Amino acid sequence: MNIRFLLNGETITLEKARPEETLLDLLREDRGLCGTKEGCNEGDCGACTVIVIDENSVKPLNACILLLGQVHGKAVRTIEGVGVDGKLHPIQDAIIKNHGSQCGFCTPGIIMSLVAAQMNNEKDHDVALAGNLCRCTGYAPIIRAAEVAQQVVLPEWLIFDREKLVSCAILPSLEQPKSSDDIAALLVKSPKTRLIAGATDIGLWLTKEFRDISPFTFLNQANDLTKIEEMEVDYKIGAMVNIEDLRLWAASVSPSYGELLRRYASIQIRYAATIGGNIANGSPIGDNPPALIAAGARIELRCGESRRTLPLEAFFIEYGKQDLRDGEFLESIFVPKDFENLCCYKISKRFDQDISAVCGCFNILVQEDRIVKARVAFGGMAATPKRATHIEEALIGRDWSLATIQSCENLWDKDFTPLSDIRASSAYRLKTAQNLLWRYYRESLGETCNVLEVSA
Amino acid sequence: MSFDATNSSKSFKSVGTRPLRPDGVDKVTGRARYGADFNMPGQLVARVLRSKHAHAKIKSIDTSRAETVKGVKAVVTAADLPDLTDGDPALFAVLDNCMARNKAMYDGHAIAAVAAIDEKAAKAALKLIAVDYEILPHVTDVDAATLPDAPVLNEAIFTQGVEPKSTRPSNIANRTEFGHGDVDVGFSHADSVVERSYKTEQTHQGYIEPHACVANCNPDGTAELWVCTQGHFVYRQVCADLLGIEVSKLRVTSSEIGGGFGGKTHVWTEPVALALSRKANRPVKLVMSRDEVFRASGPTSATSIDVKIGANKDGIITAATATLRYTSGPYADMWAELGAMTSFACYDLENVKTVGLEVIVNRPKVAAYRAPSAPMAAFAVESAIDELAQKIGMNPVDFRIQNVASEGTQSSYGPIYGPIGIGPTLEAAKAHPHMSAPLGKNQGRGMACGFWFNFGGQTCTDLNISADGTVTIAVGTVDVGGSRASLSLIAAEELGLSYDNIKAVVADTSTLGYNDMTDGSRGTFSTSMATISAARNAIEIMRHRAALMWDIPLGDVYWEDGHAHAAGTKHGNLAPLSVKDIAAEAGKTGGPIAGHSELVADGAGVSFATHICDIDVDPETGSSRVVRYTVIQDAGKAVHPSYVEGQYQGGAAQGIGWALNEEYIYGEDGRLQNPGFLDYRIPVCSDLPMIDTQILEIPNPKHPYGVRGVGETSIVPPLAAIANAVSNAVGVRMTHIPVSPPRILAALTDAKD
Ligand SMILES: Cc1cc2nc3c(=O)[nH]c(=O)nc-3n(C[C@H](O)[C@H](O)[C@H](O)COP(=O)(O)OP(=O)(O)OC[C@H]3O[C@@H](n4cnc5c(N)ncnc54)[C@H](O)[C@@H]3O)c2cc1C
Ligand code: FES
Ligand code: FES
Repeated sequence: MNIRFLLNGETITLEKARPEETLLDLLREDRGLCGTKEGCNEGDCGACTVIVIDENSVKPLNACILLLGQVHGKAVRTIEGVGVDGKLHPIQDAIIKNHGSQCGFCTPGIIMSLVAAQMNNEKDHDVALAGNLCRCTGYAPIIRAAEVAQQVVLPEWLIFDREKLVSCAILPSLEQPKSSDDIAALLVKSPKTRLIAGATDIGLWLTKEFRDISPFTFLNQANDLTKIEEMEVDYKIGAMVNIEDLRLWAASVSPSYGELLRRYASIQIRYAATIGGNIANGSPIGDNPPALIAAGARIELRCGESRRTLPLEAFFIEYGKQDLRDGEFLESIFVPKDFENLCCYKISKRFDQDISAVCGCFNILVQEDRIVKARVAFGGMAATPKRATHIEEALIGRDWSLATIQSCENLWDKDFTPLSDIRASSAYRLKTAQNLLWRYYRESLGETCNVLEVSA
Repeated sequence: MSFDATNSSKSFKSVGTRPLRPDGVDKVTGRARYGADFNMPGQLVARVLRSKHAHAKIKSIDTSRAETVKGVKAVVTAADLPDLTDGDPALFAVLDNCMARNKAMYDGHAIAAVAAIDEKAAKAALKLIAVDYEILPHVTDVDAATLPDAPVLNEAIFTQGVEPKSTRPSNIANRTEFGHGDVDVGFSHADSVVERSYKTEQTHQGYIEPHACVANCNPDGTAELWVCTQGHFVYRQVCADLLGIEVSKLRVTSSEIGGGFGGKTHVWTEPVALALSRKANRPVKLVMSRDEVFRASGPTSATSIDVKIGANKDGIITAATATLRYTSGPYADMWAELGAMTSFACYDLENVKTVGLEVIVNRPKVAAYRAPSAPMAAFAVESAIDELAQKIGMNPVDFRIQNVASEGTQSSYGPIYGPIGIGPTLEAAKAHPHMSAPLGKNQGRGMACGFWFNFGGQTCTDLNISADGTVTIAVGTVDVGGSRASLSLIAAEELGLSYDNIKAVVADTSTLGYNDMTDGSRGTFSTSMATISAARNAIEIMRHRAALMWDIPLGDVYWEDGHAHAAGTKHGNLAPLSVKDIAAEAGKTGGPIAGHSELVADGAGVSFATHICDIDVDPETGSSRVVRYTVIQDAGKAVHPSYVEGQYQGGAAQGIGWALNEEYIYGEDGRLQNPGFLDYRIPVCSDLPMIDTQILEIPNPKHPYGVRGVGETSIVPPLAAIANAVSNAVGVRMTHIPVSPPRILAALTDAKD
């Protein structure tokens, strides 16, 4: 497979490239660009952050789990390519002047994240830096540098790279599907093809487990799957919508869901990971499934020209087993529009960049003091994302009162027998699940709960 | 940031200013070369096979199939690292830890290693190494390891330091005791006593750069090692000893270091890389993965500590005791001893006794982590101090001030203190606006004090004056926190030059005399002493040269403000000669001008800090957030105040992570469950407030400028400060670090039941 992309403004053509090789390995081992660091090789530390540009986005991404097939046709900037003509980028300068670099190992990644944030007008440093670990500074001098650098103008190379992308006509590779029709056709022909979406899971299979994933293909050129459309009763979300785009949309329709997604990993991971991958991997601790199940989402699976839809919860059969047949792929997610009451709570040890111990989502509709609809779904409480059916039953038809909430107290262990693992004990999970219903109730009465951590 | 210099008297020109760091541009452009950024022509890639068993006898290792993999150039096991340690148990532990000899002692213990032309071949070969293990019972918990029914991990370990001599092998490797007075008498005078047991979990330094090196052994017996380390001279000595290389034939170059915090004071894979290179006769690059860093470098001890403190109703502590159990991994060490020494160092006590017990467990070999062993002891003691203050109805600051150590106090670990900063930091805390700021609902405030010894050690510096009058200093202490800038300031101060005229480099082991490593907060302290003395030696030479240039007696030349001056008026008001003037003539007046110094930097002044912390706790989920944090610490003299602040903030940030979330979690099977940054939770940006700092300067009389080390003490108080704040917020005493959300919720639930 031929891979072409811009690297710090120069066209790179790789003949017979291994598209499953990571960009980080290419940069460090083949190109001698050692400014991009490897701190973990698993998307956790951000030392490898690079900027990837295409015609309508500027994304900070983790090069350690970014595969060459995913950068084909894009422009990549590394720390070596952010200053122009021997001059430092203003953020580089601000880091020096504010003593924001101690050992300096995190510094290139931090700078790339801040440059991207500035280009995207992201002013919240906690958001911009959630994916960058610094062990030396305690972050204060880095934030000071970021504040100083906020007024910076867009770098010249953004326009340069975009123009060059067009003029050197880096075309989508012929071998990659360019639409959902292509994907469908490919899967009919070779149903065993592994679909690579954002590679935030698959990247780890490659770098940590050294799995052979062939045959495989990349979905990131299928632009028709990256849309969110408003239909009559539903929103239709393409499987290749990345979590950051999903977050921006979610924030506009359900602040609570939006806030949940703000706490999904880090911005680097959110820009890579897709909603399709987050559902298709069947993880019991993915953050989107409980929210979408509570919202009443249905998914559409496609095989060739035939499509079937099913409620999202029905997709998850058991741990590691989803209702996905050979030759089939997840094409779209339909979310009913009436989920204003959706409230999502993510419980994790750390506020940002942490996997949920428990993710609880409530969508309860009360009319004239009666509960007319109750959809309650949890992640982290069972082997799959799961509805709390006993709780739902106990709520529907009752009045929205203290007594009703109390009557649920003993039902939780009918719905869930959570595991104890490194993230939390079974008892902790059950206890917090119970407490979350209380919190939802109190919040519905207008009480604000003062700790930011949980009001995701 | 505030900066209080009221205690220092000497005035400075360069020292105390905040110039930009010389390594800044390299670091922000990605040009700084770290361990993994160096390559040699023809180098091989090495990978290590590690035990998945916590405790197992290695019955046999068969590497024959691995050796046949295409591209594999060498496979080594313990057999390739013969025991040359000559009965030195500490060195033997290092050797056995590098490559397991008879038994795998923990999950992650190295068993064999492969060097191949690429990673793929190396990985393939690892899979083909057949190891026949006999699984043995294991123990990872500090308390469980001391129980009578615990498996004995090393039959050759008998508890040292007990009378009568121990006759049965034990997992308690040694017992140490410190203190003075009679604690029984002291407790009999107490009106209130607090007695509690505390636990802390094992943590890792968490530097973002994994260990990396390139080793090259030549057939003529010479060798080179490029490595990220806090002490290349020490690595050279240890590697030379383990491999039987003459010390001067092994040249070690330290790379830029991406964090160490103590974890890069010890060799892990470097001897293995050298052994592979020797066997393959090619350069070998060995980079640890993050998983390996967690499983097989050197984390802290896990601890279990019992404290008892009594006070009379006037708030005077009448007696204090502590028994401290520290894990050291599979080998005997001295971590509990350090804990026992530091426990009560902040206080002036009439009767005090501490006992340290070093506990052997199936976990990685413990290494230093910033003020090693002190944070856990401080957590236990400062928690009990807080509780006792409450019990006798005193405010925690006043109670501490009442009992604080000062100049002339006999410390709990022996020595009599000189001028020290604990009292001033407490007074500053009392006066700090943070102390009296109002708290919100579900918030609590905590405070705690901390101590660290600091260290001096062997140091050697060269100072060379170039023909244009600019200066290079070649130092042997690795720059971990900005010491190249600080040392340049020192040289500038001493020579009367500007900071821009000085360039500091870290010299390799072949170009400078031996230096201890950068640990014990010694980098700036000790190397500044050597730099001052080197500069003074160079000044002596420049006075000679000036005398020659002027043709006047040496005694008539004095040095001031970067110039040689001719004394008095008898030489006809000669214009002073600058360094530049003298350097320009050096070729004619006797050749290059240099100053050299080698010394043992004695008199590292002890260091103290007081921290204040506000925390917000959610009673329904147990999650918490640090909302305000203040560090007050004595620096002796802050050479570069921004870097001093950087050390204060960095140490506090690490302590906050340790206090709230970081922990090694072992499964029943003795395997580490969370060897990655996603599940070993170090703080991200949103976890920390802008940590505020206040620098006090109580000059260290043993240093020409009053400098004390500043790098470590700031990690000591946070565990206790946070635990005290959480305890105050939830009304339940937290006795187990980290106080993670599940532990807080469990404490709340227990308290309700
Ligand atoms: C550092 C880090 C932090 C993380 N934090 C979080 C977090 O906070 N919350 C959370 O929920 N997750 C988190 N994750 C997990 C991860 O982001 C998700 O699982 C992610 O959504 C997977 O999406 P992807 O597009 O990257 O999938 P990929 O890795 O590309 O694929 C995952 C799986 O889905 C399949 N697949 C992808 N798309 C389709 C499709 N359209 N049809 C059928 N099959 C498909 C693939 O074949 C593969 O089996 C984290 C991951 C990392 C590395
Ligand atoms: S190396 Fe840590 S995120 Fe990529
Ligand atoms: S400066 Fe060392 S990790 Fe950030």
